[in-house]
Amino acid sequence: MLAVEKTVNGFHFMPPSLSAWIGKSIPDNEFEGDIPWTPLKKPLSETVFSLMTSAGINMKADPDFNMKRERREPTWGDPSHRHISSQAQESDIHVNHLHINTDYIKQDMNVMLPLRRFQEFESDHIIGTLASTVYSYYGYQLDPKELLEDTMPQVVAAMQKEGVEAVLLTPA
Amino acid sequence: MGLVARFLEKNGFSTVVLTTTPEFNREIGFPRVAAIEYPYGRVVGAVNDAEGQRKVLKAALTVLETAGKPGQVVHLPFTWPEEARQTKWHPPEISPIVKMYLDEIKKTASEKRPESN
Repeated sequence: MLAVEKTVNGFHFMPPSLSAWIGKSIPDNEFEGDIPWTPLKKPLSETVFSLMTSAGINMKADPDFNMKRERREPTWGDPSHRHISSQAQESDIHVNHLHINTDYIKQDMNVMLPLRRFQEFESDHIIGTLASTVYSYYGYQLDPKELLEDTMPQVVAAMQKEGVEAVLLTPA
Repeated sequence: MGLVARFLEKNGFSTVVLTTTPEFNREIGFPRVAAIEYPYGRVVGAVNDAEGQRKVLKAALTVLETAGKPGQVVHLPFTWPEEARQTKWHPPEISPIVKMYLDEIKKTASEKRPESN
């Protein structure tokens, strides 16, 4: 018997009303423009990794993502980012996100920011190293201009400083 | 997240996006996608399921390692163990944007019913 390949339905967990509304903005056809591409330069076991999530995580010492303004201005999402220590534990972080249930991340941050799993991968030589810093921003950006023009260049500079070569991104 | 992945690739980093909603790839054009049908906010796996999380992440790393061309979307075979409506992924309060457009959302739903869960 042939195995049936799974096709992920991104709306599987969404109420039908919300998925119909969000689905209206997604084109029916595949993307046809150019896509930027950096080939992996080395085997995974020699590659320096960082992580980036849009789950709205910050170190407690740093400011929380701004939920107050989004409550006042529902089309605005905090366009800033935060540095997270790759040694961070659940007790070191805050999580703020108005579009998901953040309880699971607070219980086990690896469900969105898999620091401990990547530390294990480093020990097991599945990856080269996990950089000292990983990154979080806030995954609700109807207008991504500030995120892309002001925030991400700062992230790129920080990643370059730590010799990062590859990044796993985990959208909330 | 697609726009961020594109920005990173342009700046010399190899990326893989582990996402629950690969449909957005059609709008933006992600460099490499590992798609997974898990609830929003738990894309790597269930709380304290270290072994399950490892499997998902290894699969995402394989996508990073083996994708041969930009725009590759690999659908991972993992299945979430709960029914969709039991996953409780929703925020405790309706998000501000959904609250603002609630009437329109209800109207859209009555016009077009997509495949239900």
